Amino acid sequence: MTATTSGQVISDRQQLAYIASQAADARVNVELETEGMTLNIGPQHPATHGTLRIIARLDGEQVIWAEPSAGYMHRGYEKLTEVRSFPQVTALINRIDWLGSFANEVPFILAAEKLMGIEAPPRAQYIRTILFELSRIANVTLFLGDLGVQLGAITPVFFAFRDREYALNLIEAATGGRFHPNFDRIGGLKDDLPKGWIDEAKATMKKMKQFCDTIEDLLFGNEIFQIRTRGIGVIPKDVAMSYGLSGANARASGIDWDLRRDQTLPMAWDKADWKVITHPAGDSFARCWVRLQETREACSIVEQLVDNIPAGPIMAKVPRIVKVPEGEAWVSTENPLGEMGYYVVSKGDTGPFRVKIRSASFNNISITPWLLKGVFVPDIITILASLYFILGDIDR
Amino acid sequence: MAKPKVPGMFKGLGITFNTLVDTLKNGAATVQYPHEKESPPVRARGVIALREDNCTSCMLCARSCPDWCIYIEGHKELAPPRRAGGKPRGVNKLDRFDIDYALCMYCGICVEVCPFDALFWSPEYEYSEPKIADLLHDKTKLGEWMETVPEAPELESGALKGKK
Repeated sequence: MTATTSGQVISDRQQLAYIASQAADARVNVELETEGMTLNIGPQHPATHGTLRIIARLDGEQVIWAEPSAGYMHRGYEKLTEVRSFPQVTALINRIDWLGSFANEVPFILAAEKLMGIEAPPRAQYIRTILFELSRIANVTLFLGDLGVQLGAITPVFFAFRDREYALNLIEAATGGRFHPNFDRIGGLKDDLPKGWIDEAKATMKKMKQFCDTIEDLLFGNEIFQIRTRGIGVIPKDVAMSYGLSGANARASGIDWDLRRDQTLPMAWDKADWKVITHPAGDSFARCWVRLQETREACSIVEQLVDNIPAGPIMAKVPRIVKVPEGEAWVSTENPLGEMGYYVVSKGDTGPFRVKIRSASFNNISITPWLLKGVFVPDIITILASLYFILGDIDR
Repeated sequence: MAKPKVPGMFKGLGITFNTLVDTLKNGAATVQYPHEKESPPVRARGVIALREDNCTSCMLCARSCPDWCIYIEGHKELAPPRRAGGKPRGVNKLDRFDIDYALCMYCGICVEVCPFDALFWSPEYEYSEPKIADLLHDKTKLGEWMETVPEAPELESGALKGKK
């Protein structure tokens, strides 16, 4: 409470309101000053593939500061693995990147096999690689359709969902699960392929290649799409390196780096003839384009491998109750979203002692504060869509 | 970038028009679910069936279940001896075998660990219930699913025969 000279008592609140109104009048008379506004994008936003919240500070239409706020879907997989046995862990980690689930199992199983000092038989390696690439196709197909929706084009998503079904049917026919195959076992695979699967796979790969052509004509050739993506959200090569981007995001910035080619794993990628796709531009268009070309490459990998699957067993000699010897192992593979790795620590028990999961999306969205600075609000969605993350992959 | 001969937008319109013609000619890719049904593949993990005679209530499935949705109770009974004059045999009788499909995550570990071939996958999928408690299937209901269990499919050439 303050007393004025006239003897009238006014409250602090009234005084503050008076000062504010005086200041506002003064400002209007001098110049128009803009105020910042905080905009929450998410947690429930269709562009985020789950529940990611982006806090953006706007000045007019421009972003001056942005930060991703993850953790709305944290499920504690690293902790859960400590109280699960090895077969149970593969059922869990299917759910990390739910669009390419089979690819999640492979690095974990490879790490466990590395600790046990065994290797899957060649037939299992081939089938693993084929299913790995099929899950990449199923994953990226959704991206290509979803991309159109983010930009306001409704049609591509129906094409994508129609054709993704073929890849999912193929995975389901072999593994029994459309989304969560849980097909990988330490030492091999759960079961062999059913009869007629290889012919079906060849027919499906033809359809998927056709789908890639359709999307290229429908979306990538579209002038509006090009205007919305070319030159938007440019990531230079050194920035991409310093933020630890991986997968198609890094390759779109001109980094020639693919773990399928650059490391020797007991998988069959080296048996097929394919090339790593890179693009020098680093903008949203480059990221989308690289993913489209990678789908084509994945189709050709599958086509080449299904013809040459060697005969033989699909399971190495593994005891019925798996006990992994003491030790530590790190294995990472090139998953649909980028590098995914598992650091498995075992104390000689039926389950792992500790598992550190390195998932691609978590590192890929760490660039958003740098990338979103200065862009306009409609472009936020384009950039987020082209970065392509799955929330399960961020929060784990 | 060189300008394409046909503007991209018209190319896209051509594709959607071709799809329209194709759909009118060959029918839509979707099916109207309750009237038409797509049959899932033989290996599809739809529902777990129980062959009660094979179960010895060894609890291996209940223990290996990642989210503990299998409930088993059993007791031992004395059965008459196989040969005349022999000792009566101890037989494991199953009192309760429930699977809570509200919890089940369809991983298939229970089917795999079962050493006596008592559990099977069936591709049946139409068992949703208005009440969540009704998703708890007891042993008679699990036994009924046995009729829907298909034969294991033949394997692709190059696979080892007769071995898992």
